[in-house]
Amino acid sequence: MLTFFTDTDCDITPKECAEYGIKLISMPYTVGEQVVYPYIDFQEFDAHAFYEMLRAGTMPTTSAMSEEAYLQYFEPEFAAGNDILYVHFSSGTSNTFTIMNQAVEKLKAKYPERKFHEVDTLGITALSLNVVLEAADLYKAGKTAEEIVEWAKVEVPKFPMYFFADDLKFFRRSGRVSGLAATMGGLIGIRPIIYLNDEGKMVSIGKEKGRAKAIARLVQYVEELGEDVKAHRVVIGHSDCPEIAAEAERQLKEKFGQDLRVLTTVVNPTIGSHCGPNGLGICFHAKHR
Amino acid sequence: MERTTELDSVTFAAMLRQGAAVLGKEKATINDLNVFPIPDGDTGDNMYMTMKAGCTAVQDHLGTLSEIAAAASSGMLLGARGNSGVILSRIFAGLAKGLKGVVVADTETFARAMNEAVSEAYKSVPVPVEGTMLTVLREGVAGADASSDLNRYFETLLPAMQASLDHTPELLQVLKDAGVVDSGGAGLCCVFRGMDAALCGQVCDEEPLTVAAPAAPTVDLGRFTEDSTLEFGYCTEFLLRLMRSKVDPDTFDEQVIIDYLNRVGESVVAFREGTIVKVHVHTFTPGVILNEMQRYGEFLTLKIENMSLQHNEWKKEEGEASFSRPQQRYGVVTVAMGTGMKQRFEESGADVVIEGGQTMNPSTQEFVAAFRQLHAQHILVFPNNPNIRMAAEQAASLYKGAEVHVMPSATLGEGYYGVASVDRSLSAVEEVIQGVNEVMQSVVTGMVSTAIRDAEGDNVTVRKGDFVGYSGKRMLSDSPNRSHAVQDLVARLGAAERDVMVVFYGERVPAEEAQALVETLAKTYPMLEIMLNNGGQPIYDYILVLC
Repeated sequence: MLTFFTDTDCDITPKECAEYGIKLISMPYTVGEQVVYPYIDFQEFDAHAFYEMLRAGTMPTTSAMSEEAYLQYFEPEFAAGNDILYVHFSSGTSNTFTIMNQAVEKLKAKYPERKFHEVDTLGITALSLNVVLEAADLYKAGKTAEEIVEWAKVEVPKFPMYFFADDLKFFRRSGRVSGLAATMGGLIGIRPIIYLNDEGKMVSIGKEKGRAKAIARLVQYVEELGEDVKAHRVVIGHSDCPEIAAEAERQLKEKFGQDLRVLTTVVNPTIGSHCGPNGLGICFHAKHR
Repeated sequence: MERTTELDSVTFAAMLRQGAAVLGKEKATINDLNVFPIPDGDTGDNMYMTMKAGCTAVQDHLGTLSEIAAAASSGMLLGARGNSGVILSRIFAGLAKGLKGVVVADTETFARAMNEAVSEAYKSVPVPVEGTMLTVLREGVAGADASSDLNRYFETLLPAMQASLDHTPELLQVLKDAGVVDSGGAGLCCVFRGMDAALCGQVCDEEPLTVAAPAAPTVDLGRFTEDSTLEFGYCTEFLLRLMRSKVDPDTFDEQVIIDYLNRVGESVVAFREGTIVKVHVHTFTPGVILNEMQRYGEFLTLKIENMSLQHNEWKKEEGEASFSRPQQRYGVVTVAMGTGMKQRFEESGADVVIEGGQTMNPSTQEFVAAFRQLHAQHILVFPNNPNIRMAAEQAASLYKGAEVHVMPSATLGEGYYGVASVDRSLSAVEEVIQGVNEVMQSVVTGMVSTAIRDAEGDNVTVRKGDFVGYSGKRMLSDSPNRSHAVQDLVARLGAAERDVMVVFYGERVPAEEAQALVETLAKTYPMLEIMLNNGGQPIYDYILVLC
């Protein structure tokens, strides 16, 4: 048997996981002294409350998981004789994977006959969700781990995500975006346009003045870079600005037709701790990232 | 009446005080000589505060005419507020220059010094404009009779100045349109009227010129304990009298001292007045500096403070953060009024926000004090008002602790975007400035306030008591309804072609009114992102920044 794992940084909900028969790893974030595990410490993600807290000035942090935590997720599967496929968020944005690798090495030594397969979505939130769902479709259709890994080699680089953030103090603090000029800011309505490159790292590639232009630019990327856009989902991720996500969806459907498969997700709190409220990203199938 | 043929230092000091007193009585009238029909005229206040700084500097000061004139001049240079105040301070600097070395002045000497004042005043602005206080001074001096006694000089000076003042609307169309004479010229006439009165021995209801000493900062000795490390050093200030027994004051070049201080200390402000060298320096070893200074003279006053104890509002708020870092490459100083506005400026990246604006122009000294607060190699100053720029520039030329760059921000909007655009990651200051200038040029600022008189605007008739919307010197909208005045102004500023509008509503505007207005505007301009802020500023009900 093959057990499919993903994590909460990929924006997938326990309900969706149950539909696909997927197991979910909860990636923690910290508010003040309190470490919160999504979907363990709460059942429903109250996105509005979370982002309101950020708007009011709270800046949560995130930290890597412990080796022990990984062992607790993975070992029961190996012990039961199952192999593992873990489709996860970008290893380029967190050092948690170094610790995971240590856990996996230990397990491999202990269960030499078991296999650990990995797909790095080279993304976060909407991008990861798009890839996870495509992979889960294949999993549901009975594809093997090897087949899904092969598929991912070709397809993961074809899922770009372009996004903008509203308040850059979150990104500046985490230092996870390169090329971000020190000067752009939500206070004057100038937003950097950021994308995830082929290494799964966030790179700022320009800026737009005003939200309307920023949305238009994201939609323009879908038009110009898109390949078989309608054969795949278009995932819109937002950090508590549903009306902006709705406007992006409206523009996308205007361009691609009302039958475009648009899925809207609210950016999970762990990633949201880094990008802050009022951000918007679009992930679609493209020629390249 | 006894005629005065020789001017001594005591009389001159009395003349300054009386000049300030007359100006003080007339300052409200002078404020109202505003070419713009908005209640934000401040020329009277600015000139009065500048004169007062001069008077304070000569208080309890004994010396020759030359020394008193020099002391008054240096007090005014630092105390100068607004462009009119800066020009006034330069007039008296010229006068002091002309009286240099003079113990008692006869009419001819004084007249020569007045000519020096004219030339110094004209040098204080890059492009002198006629129809201003420059003209009033120049024509007054030209019409003064220096062939007799000093009374005769003033008796002829004053009518010539008045005639010149009355003529200013003929030289400047804006004055004619507004139906006023030049406010700076009017202020200058007051000053010289007062000086004349004192010369004649008429010291009428002289107002006490004791300037309230700034409240002593609350010193928290707990900020420096037995385990502390000396992080910031000592703020060391002294007046050094150059001693003839040690140096020749006539040939001694104070640059020797300034160069030395710059080598061993930071934030150096040092200048010389007569045989006194005034010094401000930050150092870890004040003793070393004091010993060195005694090679040149002796101390008149001395003050040494541990800077860890110095009261620092913003440092307290920031907690551990900013000041504990060593010298920064860039520091940003700006000027704004209103709690919300100041806070936004800080969030946008301003290190020091000087409280002030159109109605309250900061003095040169306040700028210098702000510069001192910063540990920066380059200080970018955003005055956000053309009338504040000269004081900022004067401060920039006085301050030696950093390279100070005065940015041409003429409006709060330009300043706001400019401050937010200081890219501290760049190493070349020229690039930083270029980036800032590009952003500032892309911004337009609109304001809404109350009209204090009827006026003709740009395709709009302004009525007294209405809300008037304007940008720069152009009045663009008028309505008895505040929100309508904003809507019309926004339309005329080309909101349909813009992407972002930052709105600061003032202290008189209820939050609900501002909120409702923004909702209406958002419907009219769906492509425009509107960012509403409670600026809390006085006088201007709305400040709109379009980008």
